[in-house]
Amino acid sequence: MKRKVLSVLLVAAMTASMVAGCGTGKGSGSSAGGDTQSAENPTAGEDEHTLSVSAWDKSFNIPALEAAAKDYQENVDPDFKLNINEVSQSSDIENSITLAGSAGDYSTLTDIVLFQDHWIQKYVADYPDAFQDVNDADINWDDFAEEKLSFSTIDDKHYGVPVDNGTVVAAYRIDLLEEAGHSIDELKGCTWDKFIEIGEDVYNKTGKYLLSMDGDGNDLVYMMLQAEGESQFKDGKPNIVENDKLVKIVEIIDEMVQKNVLYLANDWNDYTDQTILGDMVAGVINGNWIIPTIEKVEANSGKWEITTMPTIEGGDGYASNGGASLYVTANCQNKELAEKFLAYTFGGSQTTYDAALKNGGVITTCISAGKSDVYNEGVEYFNNTPIYAEIVEMGSHVKPVEQSEYHYTCREKVAAAIINITQNGADVKDALQDAEDQLNFEMGN
Amino acid sequence: MKKNKMSVTSKQHAAGWAFLAPATLLIVIMSFYPIIQAVFTSLKTGSSANMKWAEPLLYNYTRMFKDKLFMRSVGNTFLYLLIEVPIMLILAILLAQILNNKDLKLKGFFRTCVFLPCATSLVSYSLIFKSLFATNGLINSILVNLGILETNYNFLGNAKSAKVIIIIALIWRWTGYNMVFFLAGLQNIEYSVYEAAKIDGASSWKTFWNITVPLLRPTIVMTMIMSINGTLQLFDESVNLTNGGPANATITMSHYIYNNSFGQGVANFGYASAMSFFVFILVAILAFINMKVGDKRD
Repeated sequence: MKRKVLSVLLVAAMTASMVAGCGTGKGSGSSAGGDTQSAENPTAGEDEHTLSVSAWDKSFNIPALEAAAKDYQENVDPDFKLNINEVSQSSDIENSITLAGSAGDYSTLTDIVLFQDHWIQKYVADYPDAFQDVNDADINWDDFAEEKLSFSTIDDKHYGVPVDNGTVVAAYRIDLLEEAGHSIDELKGCTWDKFIEIGEDVYNKTGKYLLSMDGDGNDLVYMMLQAEGESQFKDGKPNIVENDKLVKIVEIIDEMVQKNVLYLANDWNDYTDQTILGDMVAGVINGNWIIPTIEKVEANSGKWEITTMPTIEGGDGYASNGGASLYVTANCQNKELAEKFLAYTFGGSQTTYDAALKNGGVITTCISAGKSDVYNEGVEYFNNTPIYAEIVEMGSHVKPVEQSEYHYTCREKVAAAIINITQNGADVKDALQDAEDQLNFEMGN
Repeated sequence: MKKNKMSVTSKQHAAGWAFLAPATLLIVIMSFYPIIQAVFTSLKTGSSANMKWAEPLLYNYTRMFKDKLFMRSVGNTFLYLLIEVPIMLILAILLAQILNNKDLKLKGFFRTCVFLPCATSLVSYSLIFKSLFATNGLINSILVNLGILETNYNFLGNAKSAKVIIIIALIWRWTGYNMVFFLAGLQNIEYSVYEAAKIDGASSWKTFWNITVPLLRPTIVMTMIMSINGTLQLFDESVNLTNGGPANATITMSHYIYNNSFGQGVANFGYASAMSFFVFILVAILAFINMKVGDKRD
């Protein structure tokens, strides 16, 4: 009998520990927001003064959200709380949305999520009830860069409130250019042919590449094409082989690789850690969110400056790459508060945007907010030039081009074609035809 | 005692079933049910929130044969399989043979050394190989300093060298694992057999091919099946070492399936399930052939 009692007890203990073990998996969201400590359940605001939001970058967008929370607390609602659910990378948020959408259970999402703008079109198409539009928010939409809003506006409904800015900057090392006998003024809106000429000089004299890019997720094609005012898509269909500009751009990229002007890194980490932080390059062309990465190399402070990117025919190239917005999920019970908060802060509050820039280097696409004193200060790292005001100004010139929910699929296929061309000497037209076929295949055309 | 009408045997049976029941139930819920669900999923298409029956029903299955990228991933996987498995198994047998030598000193130490790679997690060893072979990594520095290479070579950025590195990594990781099985097999061969061969004047090479290998056949068949099975499901190395790159040149089947189901923003569960069943059938066929070929019982 004793043994029986003992075994029953053991079984009970085991079951209990199993249940307890599973239970601890919940509520792992950390609270990083202002003075918010109650992160028991990061997914839902508990009262009418609390919102929750997911973001991923401690040195970039989280300080911006904290700034907004503080601004709203001080100027509107002292009881307001923003619970920030910090995840380690942007793909964590994107995966959690796919997961919630697939399961049809949005209760795992925070009230507001921050993610890359390129995704929203696909999400709204795939999971129509996952997001609530913010049309009713009191925001002057005309005050934002048109190109930025072109992502998050679907069927004339606004889904996102812009946070950062994806305007492409062409940053160059002025000391290395000088060593090679050139100056940044020559590069301002030059032709790509001129760019290659200078790049060859730079490589021969200094051993550095003038440009690098992630070869797997090659954003260069998109940016170069947007600077020409073109898209990889036309009326919802891929426009690759028949697109003369795109073919020309791929040829330019191939030439740059062959002449040691452009270095194609193996992946994103290789791009940031080896080419930029590893000091392999004399120039960087990418969305301005790359600036904090450039600034990590403290030894090069004061040696960088920015300008516009080259174009095929010459003239200032304006493009935009990446950037994120805040989206209100279906799980948000207090949509009114979310709209009020977003409209007051990221809708155009000078206080929020100034603090976001100072603490996180987040640059706005809000045209009026970009005119403040903070934006016009010179930045020491960039030779005391007021790069932030320049970027906002450049952003207002970016032309919207046709977007597609297959943006990333297209990027992957064209990147594969480019590697095939540069490494194996494949014919440009053949390789691009292959990319277009595969893209059509995945789009189900 | 009239309470118990059950006989002793039926009591034992009942106890047996009672002990089996929890595990069986768990397997049914955790494995069999999802497998059956996956069959249904593989016949559906559409966004993951709103899946519809495919039109025609076998659309996902026909689609994969037109998918160049999937076909490339199949090709890659078989390339790894055909090159890596024979090299690895031969190395493992040779190592086992050497380490089984009665006169060898520090046997335990060497055995541990060869087996040690298996104690490393798949992800961490992939990351270590990645940094070893990086453009500014250790291997490049050594080769440049020795004068073998002139400038740093981007091993993982080139399709051919990236494949070679995946194969090298696989051999490093799995040889010791297979060696342990061969060592165990060798222990079961009576030393007197070798002695008899020696008296008959057989060279050690002949002894190896005519005695060791035939007597190890069951072990060889088992390690072959395990290696083939493991290589067909190759995932960690492709993801962590090269991330399928450059330009999907080194992607494996499992990695492609993963990209289609859990890759960013894709959630193409129907197609991914269909491809999984393709791998399932491949593994079954290969294991079957292997057993037929390897089984020499009369």
